[in-house]
Amino acid sequence: MNRSDRSSRVGWFTLSVVLGVMALALIPPFELFGMLTARVDLLSELRAESLADEAPMEYTADIERLEQELATMEVVDSAAIVDRLPEPPVTRYEWSLAAPATQEHRPLRSEEFAVDTTRRVIAIEDFDTLAHGKFDHFIEKLADGEHVRIAFMGDSFIEGDILTSDFRAIMQEQFGGRGVGFVACDIPFATVRKSVKRSSSGWIAYSVMKPKSLPERVKDKFFVSGYLAEGKAGATTRWSSTDAFSTLDSCSRARVFLYSRDSSSVIVEVNDSLRQSFDIEGADMLRELYIEAPISSLRLRVERGEVLCYGASLEGDGGVMVDNFSVRSNNGHAIFGTSAKINRQADDMLGYDLVVLQYGLNIMQKGQRGYSRYRDQLRDMIAYAERCFPNAAIVVMGVSDRWVKNEETSKYEPIGSVDALSSYQRAAADSTNVAFWSTAKAMEKLGGMPAFVSKGWAAKDYTHINFQGGRRIAKELAASIINEVYALVVEREEEAKRLAEIERERREATKRYIQSQIDAVLPIIEGVQQSVTE
Amino acid sequence: MTELLRFADDVWHRIVAMLVYDGGAPLTLTTGFFIFAFLLFSFGYVAVRHRAHLRTWYVVLFSLYFYYKLSGLYLLLLLGVAISDFLIGRRVAKARDRGGKTKWWVTLSVVINIAILAYFKATNFFVGVINDLYGTGTLDWQSVVVPAGVSFFVFQSIAYVVDISRGTIAPLRRFSDYLFLLSFFPKMFLGPLVKAKEFIPQIESRNLVVTREDFARAVMLVARGLVKYAVIAKSLGLLFVAPAFAGELGDGGLVALMAIYGFTLQIYCDFSGYSDIAQGVALMLGFRLPDNFDAPYKSATITEFWRRWHISLSTWLKDYLYISLGGNRKGTLRTYLNLIITMFLGGLWHGVGLTFIAWGVLHGVALALHKVWLKVVPWAKTLGRDMGVVRRIGATFLTFNLVAFGWLLFTAEDMAQVGDMLGRIAYNFSFAEFVPMVEESKVAMIMMAVGYLMHFLPKSLNNSAVRGITRLGFVGEWLIVVVAIWLVMQCDALLMLHTGVGGGLPMYANF
Repeated sequence: MNRSDRSSRVGWFTLSVVLGVMALALIPPFELFGMLTARVDLLSELRAESLADEAPMEYTADIERLEQELATMEVVDSAAIVDRLPEPPVTRYEWSLAAPATQEHRPLRSEEFAVDTTRRVIAIEDFDTLAHGKFDHFIEKLADGEHVRIAFMGDSFIEGDILTSDFRAIMQEQFGGRGVGFVACDIPFATVRKSVKRSSSGWIAYSVMKPKSLPERVKDKFFVSGYLAEGKAGATTRWSSTDAFSTLDSCSRARVFLYSRDSSSVIVEVNDSLRQSFDIEGADMLRELYIEAPISSLRLRVERGEVLCYGASLEGDGGVMVDNFSVRSNNGHAIFGTSAKINRQADDMLGYDLVVLQYGLNIMQKGQRGYSRYRDQLRDMIAYAERCFPNAAIVVMGVSDRWVKNEETSKYEPIGSVDALSSYQRAAADSTNVAFWSTAKAMEKLGGMPAFVSKGWAAKDYTHINFQGGRRIAKELAASIINEVYALVVEREEEAKRLAEIERERREATKRYIQSQIDAVLPIIEGVQQSVTE
Repeated sequence: MTELLRFADDVWHRIVAMLVYDGGAPLTLTTGFFIFAFLLFSFGYVAVRHRAHLRTWYVVLFSLYFYYKLSGLYLLLLLGVAISDFLIGRRVAKARDRGGKTKWWVTLSVVINIAILAYFKATNFFVGVINDLYGTGTLDWQSVVVPAGVSFFVFQSIAYVVDISRGTIAPLRRFSDYLFLLSFFPKMFLGPLVKAKEFIPQIESRNLVVTREDFARAVMLVARGLVKYAVIAKSLGLLFVAPAFAGELGDGGLVALMAIYGFTLQIYCDFSGYSDIAQGVALMLGFRLPDNFDAPYKSATITEFWRRWHISLSTWLKDYLYISLGGNRKGTLRTYLNLIITMFLGGLWHGVGLTFIAWGVLHGVALALHKVWLKVVPWAKTLGRDMGVVRRIGATFLTFNLVAFGWLLFTAEDMAQVGDMLGRIAYNFSFAEFVPMVEESKVAMIMMAVGYLMHFLPKSLNNSAVRGITRLGFVGEWLIVVVAIWLVMQCDALLMLHTGVGGGLPMYANF
């Protein structure tokens, strides 16, 4: 045997390298060349993801069940036509106090934008492989000045209309539209929304996040709003607009969303003066009360029977509507607990053009860098949302920046998994051909979480932003959309200009041609005239 | 109890999920999974290392698993190629011994192998072209996923049969040895291609030795490879080259030029870095893979470049394509034509497209012109080391730029982008861009400086480094590898933060 042979070394050497690299996870982040090092963990990919994924949810994606549910819905519809069954139940009860709004719209012009093209914008990445996909269509509708509706689904990050209220205000200022959109009827805990006032009494409120405490009769009735209020005679809710934002002080239309298995009767009161009573025949479907009037407040009261009320929507004509569907500590799984049928019926009424999925804050674990399971779940959520809202484009919002306290040094340091989770969210969007927007990048552009805290834009927990912070992020998100619309408008105008130019040249050429023909014929005529006169 | 069972079940599912092929996370030498797999492998290897036959099977099984984790069920394709050429090799040898014709058997092997290669390389391209011409949906083919490393095992398999027919080697007696030759895991993904004549004795060797210097060299190769591949190439590409090509860093000429030089370094570091790691891992196990790169940008002529760049491929092209075409035995004109055809096919191999063809033809013509030059000019030299200092610097500068602009053809999406980049350099060039560019891409610029510096250092430093590491011993070697891995992970985290992209496969894997 060769004495200098080291071929037996490879085993121990590899073992010590593995141990050494694993020990690297113990090194806290430190500054190097002006950059903060990351805490590295070789095992993060292998480490049990169960810690993070032990969400308090019992829902799992069941796309098959969803397909069946939707299929039965369509069968019933077509059967009604073929068999000349009695007229299907009314889904919309109308009460018109004003002339219906005109549905006119006109394409936007580039002068109507105040876009600073030199500013860096965190762009929305659209992974749709179609050249003319849903997201493009959404941008086109905005450029055409058409009415669009956005469902902004998220967790406590946007609770109380944080971020969404400013996003709505910016979008409505640019593209028109009024009203706060969807507001729940009653919620099982106290919340404050600056953008709208709500007071309810006499309801039993349920949350989709507490599946164990749900009675059978409401279990399969949830809308993506995540909250339901069950009320008998006497239950009442009053929604009233606020002047926190210039586009919210009044609106021209309201809708109330109800479910009434057996017949019931409710009273709606507008601006605390005009009343209308609605008798609702029993049916297993979502219904809406549709009130057209200049509205600053709206009251609903159950008179007879029992109804499930989802909430009301305060709306204007045209422009942009943004519905805030925040559900506390929801990682997005809650959508699997909502009824595909109800969601689809709501979509038929409201016509969503865009669904934003803002989740992930509660998923992150310090230092964990593997989120493949959450990525797979997110794919299912996207698939579910796509089936519920078939015409809507989907944007996945990446997780926001978050710092946590180091117990030893009692200083805050990056949680070390924002970028990882964000890239997994991006991967989910990529593989399902929907769009992605990096919240973390936008926050990084604004200085990151430490800057948010020091400027008073976020809570001292280095996790939750406040209204101030929400406004900054909303501006970035809106800018990414507005810039795309602007680019399209400019492109169209240039195209129109080019076509006009071609048309003008064509006309000139025709003119020149006719002139040349005249020039050619004139001497002959003159010659003939001359010879005739001679 | 049920809790515990559920936990165990959960862990089991996760382990199973990790062990099966996942197209989104293929196994390469630079993944965390590989380190653990290699750890398990290495102890078993130490136990069997001196028993050649057992060792071969042990390595083969691990290699096949490695390929399965890398490329899924294409494993069957690898096995198919191995079986077919192993059998054909025997037939060829038999025919040769009887003095009969080997031509038909060799042709069969070449046809099978090239058909496989052509199918995977060209199908997507032709389906795309036909759908472009006759409307989308004319051909409703799922896009074909190219098996990782397919060119490498196909080329080696062809070489094996041709070598037998030329009498260079005798056919292998054991199928396991042939599988080892084709599938040895460090070289499975990106080569280098090994010569059967040089590698077979190592497989059959009963006296496997790794000297202290060997181990130190292996450590140096792994650490250097990691830094080149996963730090310099990755960050340079994601932070500077890709955005610069996409026009995100403005449309200035200086940025365009630096993007071309950046890509020149990136493709070298990416490819040679991964080759270094492969060589290092193999050397730790006692196997010597040939050098695939020899500081190629130090070349003073284009001929020298191809002796220093992807050496195993250019040797393969020379031995099995150029010589099969007649090489330089059929007159001067035919020699030049053969060179151009060889490089044209070499270009086509990298990708079926106009830009790759242009790249191949550019190199083929340059090689032919250089041959003419050598013939016409009496003082012309092939190698830089035979030139005077001034001439050598000038020639190196010229060669470097020829190669760099060649890479522009290689990496551009289409000819329009080539024109655009050249236009920017020609008409929109200003040195005033320099300071803003460096400020905007500080990290990438530092990487570029470090990368080129490393490349142009004298080769003798390598041997000094190996001597130094040998003296450091086990602890020093351990520290070097751990620090290199730490750097890679830091870089990965940084890139993830800035670009949302991390990890990823070697760039050259696309070919």
